Amino acid sequence: MAIKGGGFQKSSKATDEVPTSSLADIAFLLLIFFMVTTVFQSDRDRPIEWPRAAAAEKIDEKQKNILNIWMERDGVVYINDQAYSMDQVTTVVAPLYAASERALVISIRGDREVPYRFIDQVQSALVSAGVVRVVFATQLEQSMQRERR
Amino acid sequence: MSILGKKKSKVSEGVNMASTADIAFLLLIFFLVTTTFPKDKGLSIVLPEPGVEAQVSQKNILHLIIQPTGIVDVKRGESQQVVQMRPSEIEGLWRQEVSANPNMIAAVKTHPDAPYKFMVDVLDALKTANAQRISLQVLEN
Repeated sequence: MAIKGGGFQKSSKATDEVPTSSLADIAFLLLIFFMVTTVFQSDRDRPIEWPRAAAAEKIDEKQKNILNIWMERDGVVYINDQAYSMDQVTTVVAPLYAASERALVISIRGDREVPYRFIDQVQSALVSAGVVRVVFATQLEQSMQRERR
Repeated sequence: MSILGKKKSKVSEGVNMASTADIAFLLLIFFLVTTTFPKDKGLSIVLPEPGVEAQVSQKNILHLIIQPTGIVDVKRGESQQVVQMRPSEIEGLWRQEVSANPNMIAAVKTHPDAPYKFMVDVLDALKTANAQRISLQVLEN
């Protein structure tokens, strides 16, 4: 019998390199994963002038558990991009609060110049909706930095 | 030189695609690191449960009445003596009051026509002074 390969050992067909062709797939997979899981604020910002406070602390709650109540200078209330009157606030907030299993934090985003009577009315509406945690939102960090520049 | 003509060039025509993944990763990591989401900031309060009314002795209450001009009328419990202050002076006052009486409650009463910002200023001062017991009301005549 003749010696296969003329006596020389046949070199292995497996290469010693890591297959890099799938790296792009991994990168895209990660990209798509982060794109899908990122949650942005759902409502659009109203044009208000923010009040300022030095003692303001970050709201320690997930973005989806924060409900913004915007209050403009004339006392109009906006929740999720829709205008409501004062007596509708309780009926709008109560089901949302129940759906979140009482984890909802209400962020009152009022204009600096809005008369306090409107803020008080919203507060009493929230009390009757059973809401416990409320935050008086102040100027956002980013817009503050922008102002400093 | 061989008779068969020109030697074939070893340089390939295609663009080298091997580094595309590296570029994609680099971009991904760059954006992951540099992205900052605006975090909401604010003064948090806890609202009372509906229908619950707490009875508090007058001597434990510090009334802070915010006028539409931003001036704060400070009144201790039952005494009728009123001191007028600016919101920035509340912080020092609260520290004094609490060291004298740890059970002190700040009753912030805002005039219905007073701008929201003055209430935020007073609340800010109280929060800076680590006030725990704050009651927010609207001023009734």
